[in-house]
Amino acid sequence: MFTKILIANRGEIACRVMKTARKMGIKTVAVYSEADKDALHVELADEAVCIGPAASKESYLVMDKIIAACKQTGAQAVHPGYGFLSENAEFSRRLEEEGIKFIGPKHYSVGKMGDKIESKKLALEAKVNTIPGYNEAISGPDEAVKIAQGIGYPVMIKASAGGGGKGLRVAFNDQEAFEGFSSCVNEAKNAFGDDRVFIEKFVLEPRHIEIQVLGDSFGNYVYLNERDCSIQRRHQKVIEEAPSPFIDPATRKAMGEQAVALARAVNYESAGTVEFVVGSDKSFYFLEMNTRLQVEHPVTEKITGLDLVEQMIRVAAGEKLSFTQADVKLDGWAMECRINAEDPFRGFLPSTGRLVRFDPPADSDGEHVRVDTGVYDGGEISMFYDSMIAKLIVHGSTRDQAIERMREALNAFVIRGISSNIPFQAALMQHSRFVAGNFTTAFIAEEYPKGFNSSMVPHDDPAMLVAVAGFVHRRYLERASRIVGQLPGHEFKIGQRFVVIIGGNQHPVTVTEQGNGCRITYQGEHYDVESDWHFYNPLMKGTLNGRPFVMQVERIGLKYRLMHWGTLAEAEVVTARAAELMALMPKKAAPDLSKFLLSPMPGLLREVAVSVGQDVKAGEKLAVIEAMKMENVLKAEQDGKVKKVVASAGTSLSVDEVIIEFE
Amino acid sequence: MHDIIHELDRRREAARLGGGQKRIDSQHAKGRLTARERIEVLLDEGTFEEWDMFKAHRCNDFGMQDQQIPGDGVVTGYGTINGRLVFIFSQDFTVFGGSLSETHAEKICKVMDHAMKAGAPVIGLNDSGGARIQEGVASLGGYADVFQRNVMASGVIPQISLIMGPCAGGAVYSPAMTDFIFMVKDSSYMFVTGPEVVKTVTHEEVTAEELGGAVTHNTKSGVADMAFENDVEALMMTRRLFNYLPLSNREKAPVRPTSDPTDRIELSLDTLVPDNPNKPYDMKELILKVADDGDFFELQPDYAKNIVIGLARMEGSTVGIVANQPLVLAGCLDIKSSIKAARFVRFCDAYNIPVVTFVDVPGFMPGTSQEFGGIIKHGAKLLYAYAECTVPKVTVITRKAYGGAYDVMSSKHLRGDVNLAWPSAEIAVMGPKGAVEIIFRDEKNDPAKIAEREAEYKAKFANPFVAGARGFIDDVIQPHETRKRICRSLAMLREKQLDNPWRKHGNIPL
Repeated sequence: MFTKILIANRGEIACRVMKTARKMGIKTVAVYSEADKDALHVELADEAVCIGPAASKESYLVMDKIIAACKQTGAQAVHPGYGFLSENAEFSRRLEEEGIKFIGPKHYSVGKMGDKIESKKLALEAKVNTIPGYNEAISGPDEAVKIAQGIGYPVMIKASAGGGGKGLRVAFNDQEAFEGFSSCVNEAKNAFGDDRVFIEKFVLEPRHIEIQVLGDSFGNYVYLNERDCSIQRRHQKVIEEAPSPFIDPATRKAMGEQAVALARAVNYESAGTVEFVVGSDKSFYFLEMNTRLQVEHPVTEKITGLDLVEQMIRVAAGEKLSFTQADVKLDGWAMECRINAEDPFRGFLPSTGRLVRFDPPADSDGEHVRVDTGVYDGGEISMFYDSMIAKLIVHGSTRDQAIERMREALNAFVIRGISSNIPFQAALMQHSRFVAGNFTTAFIAEEYPKGFNSSMVPHDDPAMLVAVAGFVHRRYLERASRIVGQLPGHEFKIGQRFVVIIGGNQHPVTVTEQGNGCRITYQGEHYDVESDWHFYNPLMKGTLNGRPFVMQVERIGLKYRLMHWGTLAEAEVVTARAAELMALMPKKAAPDLSKFLLSPMPGLLREVAVSVGQDVKAGEKLAVIEAMKMENVLKAEQDGKVKKVVASAGTSLSVDEVIIEFE
Repeated sequence: MHDIIHELDRRREAARLGGGQKRIDSQHAKGRLTARERIEVLLDEGTFEEWDMFKAHRCNDFGMQDQQIPGDGVVTGYGTINGRLVFIFSQDFTVFGGSLSETHAEKICKVMDHAMKAGAPVIGLNDSGGARIQEGVASLGGYADVFQRNVMASGVIPQISLIMGPCAGGAVYSPAMTDFIFMVKDSSYMFVTGPEVVKTVTHEEVTAEELGGAVTHNTKSGVADMAFENDVEALMMTRRLFNYLPLSNREKAPVRPTSDPTDRIELSLDTLVPDNPNKPYDMKELILKVADDGDFFELQPDYAKNIVIGLARMEGSTVGIVANQPLVLAGCLDIKSSIKAARFVRFCDAYNIPVVTFVDVPGFMPGTSQEFGGIIKHGAKLLYAYAECTVPKVTVITRKAYGGAYDVMSSKHLRGDVNLAWPSAEIAVMGPKGAVEIIFRDEKNDPAKIAEREAEYKAKFANPFVAGARGFIDDVIQPHETRKRICRSLAMLREKQLDNPWRKHGNIPL
């Protein structure tokens, strides 16, 4: 076994690999870019080597620097994580030449699976179901139409070198096939410098289901069941689960055996993933093989009880698999939500900056909730890397239980300072189609065609919000009533009748002390809330009518901001009389949207980040002003369109000078 | 006997109606509450004791003798906020437009006199068209009687003014002398001369809102301390402010027990100050993470934002917070921020509220507008305020403490009691670059040498240990333990005694 390994990655995956290495008694070496010098993976490692500037292509993607770091530290093997150099055959070959073990498949396996046409041929030979299609060079649009007719519509025309939705057309008839072929060739040539395209059957109501395989250097192979990764937004996975709610044991076995056959065909030694598209009739077709550890591997670990990183390290160290297919478990249900630093309410724009609070859900029993992350409380989310800051993984004995645990875990995930997609994840978790397991890869596009907004996460139980607001206010009044210096005999009395105002709607309640908590009576129903919550804690754990709940509670001025199940409710609690008077207060229209960006300070305009005619979203960077040698970023206060850029970079500005005019 | 009792009820009912239902409706239509409704929101339910409900004016000119409305346009008395005594006057716009008559002024003076005797704050709810013109000089005298009492009460009992309607002409000077002015957006304004006079004299066209609305006084003039959306919000927030204040200068800052642990660790503070000394960060994050329960009542949040002032609690006791804000103008001191902080420090000192100062200040703001505007005199106000201040003073330097601004910001030399510094603190005459350019003027044209000198200067002075070696800093602390260290310092200082030499009063550079 190795005594020291280097992890050629950053973020959560680097941290995750190090945890396993540490468990196995192996020393770890981190590599990091200058932007990552305070990153968690650097902190966790036994040693760390700086490998260059922030940009990946000058650091994490430079093989020479990583090989040099191995030599410098005496690391015997490299775990590449995912992304970066993880599927780079040359990297794994060069490591081999240098006598350093690559914790992953051999370079020839990587190479063969790296090319889409090549891998499909191999799959065919290994008797793996492939999508009916045509892999030879196609002479022109007329031939394309003929081929399409042969396969049967609908067909997909796809660039061989394509990816991420680029160079892809779907045709339902001859004309579309003819036109789609021509435009696809052009796009492929321009985008990838490779105009090879292929045509294949377009699968209706497709699901993305993948099989985890594991092989050793002795020719032993197992499949570790499937993962369903159909919940995707713009081809990015959002939620993954294992097993799939769609797959029956027979299909699982068939898919697993084919995946193993393919792994065997390329002498695959390590953990790998064979991706399939599965149609509504449970027909499945090979898509591609990922020759690395996947982001979503923890769901497989949760249902099989295996540590995939450990298996990878053992195999790389030349060990034999210690179990056979018959030993592979499928225990309960696991689910993973990718927690991204992005704002779901502003078109999923990436959100960067300081993590003013980062407090992932605590795992009370170490069994059901797992958080893989590479960030920490007070850390910085930089613009240089992926927006995924954590993976939230839960396990339950059934799918329903897993969903329930995920909803609670999302409730308890405290992130402040930047925006996260937690409200969106919470909305998905309560979506009836998701809960029913009735979805395809088009789920998000179908259900949220115009994006996402707060009205799409209505609370399941609005009375709960009313009750908790009543409870919090009672605690507030109790605290207020303990102030010193009250008139003796005329001390403050906490009343019982209040009105909870949420979104302008008034909800009369009575709040009384009851046991260790409060009884809130609302619309004739009793809600008993108990919690030992304190004002300094953003997280409230308690019970409502005996049922446990977790909610985030923040106080903003007179309002209580309650965050639960993806809903953000701002509640104000007042006496009945104040509520009456409040109703007399004018409803003010939103203030007139300012049409100008004014300089808030005297200084030098360093940069105007937008141009005339550009649409800007609220929160987007508009300009940078340097004052007192400090850079101040001016951001858009609301969505708008740039009408005129009045001041240009390099000019000195006085206070309130117009920089940009909006339409 | 029954008749007499019924007569009282009848008279009370009539008095409660003020100027009548029509005028009440019109007040509501303007989005404003009536004088009595405001008191209902402000005070604990059912605690208002009203005085002078039947007070009547004595004017016999211009037909006033035929118009008598009991109470004469102002509702006065006392009650409690969270059980603590407070005196109130609330002008009633439905009665003669809330105009101030001699008798109206007498009612206000009566509650103020009682407040002084009882040692409890006065809250004034202002909603008045101005002087009762029919009364002429008697009304003016009434104003002056109130002003005199405002001044006598200053520093003895806290005075809070809410501007909830018009407040123009001489009337503005009563609120101006109180400790805090809160305004309601879109329904209140304050000015010495109104838009019409302005137009005649200076030919400027300006609306009442632009000239003296809540936004103007909270962002441009700095006259007001906070602006609120409506009457109810303003009144409920006044209750909150009241909870921080001692009832008089005879008391210590009030204590409200908290469950927030004194030794609460905030690891995220260790990364608050960025590596790059020119990168800003939000000082309010530090305040919120250090204060009890994350409660911070910020005052003047939209004015001179390069300094943050407000009230918080540490271990339950009220403290005043003053903090440079690196997010705005790099946190430098200028005319507006100096005045803003100086007045607040003097308020805290007057009412036995300890002052906690967070320092990240690159210096005073340079420029002709500052020098012509008298930054020397106005900056001196803050220096004066800190220097004369005798309440406990705890100072934490997070990053820059350069030059004269270092001295000003509650330094050891101005009798700072406990002066702490984070490891990132740089206490120096100026930033390394500027310093090197002066000391090594001869090497100015040799960038390599200058860079070397800069690094040398940085290593020598850009840290807290030089100041620590001289005892100007009592300790260098870990950012994550800031709350604990401040709490302990304040606990140690609870019985602090320090007196300035007797004098009639100092001569602060006004």
